[in-house]
Formats: sequence, C-alpha cells, structure tokens
Amino acid sequence: MAILEKVDKLHRATAWRGDIPITSRYTAGIAGEKFFREIKDNARIMGTYCENCELIYVPAAMFCERCFAELDEWVEVDTRGTVFTYTVLFRDLDDRPLDPPAILAYVKLDGSTGGLVHYLGEIDPEEVCIGLEVEAVFKDAPEREGSILDIEYFRPVEA
Amino acid sequence: MTAKIEKFPGVYLRESDFRDKKVLFNEWNPNAQYAWDAGVAIGRYLAELKEGRLVGVQCNKCRRTVIPPRNFCEWCFRPMDDWVHLPDIGTVNTFSLCYVTWDMQYLTDPEIPAVIDIDGTSPAVGIMHKLGEVDPQAVRIGMRVQAVWKPPEEREGSILDIKYFKPLEG
Repeated sequence: MAILEKVDKLHRATAWRGDIPITSRYTAGIAGEKFFREIKDNARIMGTYCENCELIYVPAAMFCERCFAELDEWVEVDTRGTVFTYTVLFRDLDDRPLDPPAILAYVKLDGSTGGLVHYLGEIDPEEVCIGLEVEAVFKDAPEREGSILDIEYFRPVEA
Repeated sequence: MTAKIEKFPGVYLRESDFRDKKVLFNEWNPNAQYAWDAGVAIGRYLAELKEGRLVGVQCNKCRRTVIPPRNFCEWCFRPMDDWVHLPDIGTVNTFSLCYVTWDMQYLTDPEIPAVIDIDGTSPAVGIMHKLGEVDPQAVRIGMRVQAVWKPPEEREGSILDIKYFKPLEG
C-alpha cells in the first residue's frame, strides 16, 4: 500500500451513503400568527401602526424597528400596491428550467410603509415594470391555510 | 429556569398545539442525503467486511499495526506499508451501558457500545462496536470477545456486517 495507490476505475470507488433525518418547524410568532390568521379567515392584510414614527408595518411586527415601542394598534391595509422591484426566474431552486418563468416582486402596499415579496401573475414578464399597480389574488376561503401562499399572486389592476 | 428569571417570556407550545393546528407553522423536511467518499483505505476495509474479514495496515517505521486502515501513519507522517488481515477476536478496552437511544427513547435492555482492541494490533488501537449475547452486569474491561457476523448474503460492506461482539467461549 502506498500513498500513490489510486482508484483508477469508477466501480472501485466506494462511498458511504446515508441521509440525515431533520424536521424543521417555523412558527410565525405572536404578530405573525395574527397577520396570517387575518389572511386565512378574512382575506385581509393587516399591519401594525407606530404612533411615534407614523409608520405602518406590513407584515405586521410586534415592535417598531426605529423606536422599539411595542405595537398593538392593528390597521387594515389595502390589498393593492405598486411593484417596487422585481425579478424574472427561469430556474427553480434545484436548477431545473421553469416554464413559464416565475416573476417575483416586492410589492409596496398602499396605505402602509411596508410590503410583501410575492409572485406576479396574469402578466407576461415583458410587460412588468417598476411602478406597476397590482392587487392581491386570494385563494378561495376553504383552501386558505394561514400561509403567505393563501395569496396566489399579485395581478395588474384593470385600468 | 435561572436564579433571577422564573419564567422566560414568549409563548410555550406543545406537540399537541401543532397536531391540533392551534398554531400556524411551516414544516419542512430537508432532503439531507450524503455520500461520504470512503477513500482507498476505508474502501478496502468495507469491502473486506463484506467478505467477513477484518483488515488493518502496518507502518514499517513505528512498527504499529492499526485498524481501521488508513493511508497515512499519523505518528510518522508517511504512507502505510502493508495490509494485514486480523482475527475477529479482541479484548474490551472500555464500554458503556446505554439506556437511552440517540433520539432519546428509553431502553429496558441497554445497548453496550465498546471499544475493542483487536488481536494483532498495537496498544491503544481499537474499533468501536456493540456487545451482545452478554449480561450487561457481567461485562468487564479485559473481557475476551469475538465478532458475530451477519450471514454472507446479508452483508453489504458496512461495519454493521458484524452484528456485535460476544464473549469468547471458555
């Protein structure tokens, strides 16, 4: 046996195969729980209001990121908004081609300081532009399960 | 909790809260597959296990014989010189009685992991395995043990091709 002993044929190379059982659970937290319950039960998007800073956080937060005040004033915000920025995806997470491509956008919601990252739908990638007015399309009530995907996508507002 | 804190802030959740969907959550099972390249030394070790044999390596400089095999002598920083077949008999170097599994399940009959010094190897060289066919209270350091192999058709080139080590008769 020498250091220069090499595996020169593929069938001689041995690998030990296995898998690691991992389960992860992510809870939305106190404010997140209420935020998603509102989407599930009432198909509305709620934010929290900071009186000091005159900001409305969407998604709802428990405290103000600027003044650290606890936020307990909940306000409904519009399900309409504008495209702040977007990207077109031609590959999925596993590098498989996406056909048709997916459009991901950060949508600033009217009447709030925040917004949501979500898909755009009912539109061709070529037609998307920054500043485009869009509205949320919710799934039907029985299909909603308290997830951000209870909103199917945002679509352009009919002129 | 601690000397100063009686109860940490936050919401305490039980398994039943998830089961009964009292709380919203995302659940994800990552597909965490791996393939660990066995290399030349462990590759042959596993292949020999499939044949029902133990193999070690020997360094001609420090004159040690070690198992599991490795390419380098970690004492001399030079390549190992020869393969050596070794008997499946050894001596318990150390052991533990384990009443809890790796995922925290209680066991009535303990697992007995042990380091076994294989005959023909140098001092302070051993492999980790389990003991079987033995009363846990009767296990002693220095006990002579022998490998119990799976039948040839069930072996798959794994350290588990040895089911366990049992006390040597007589």
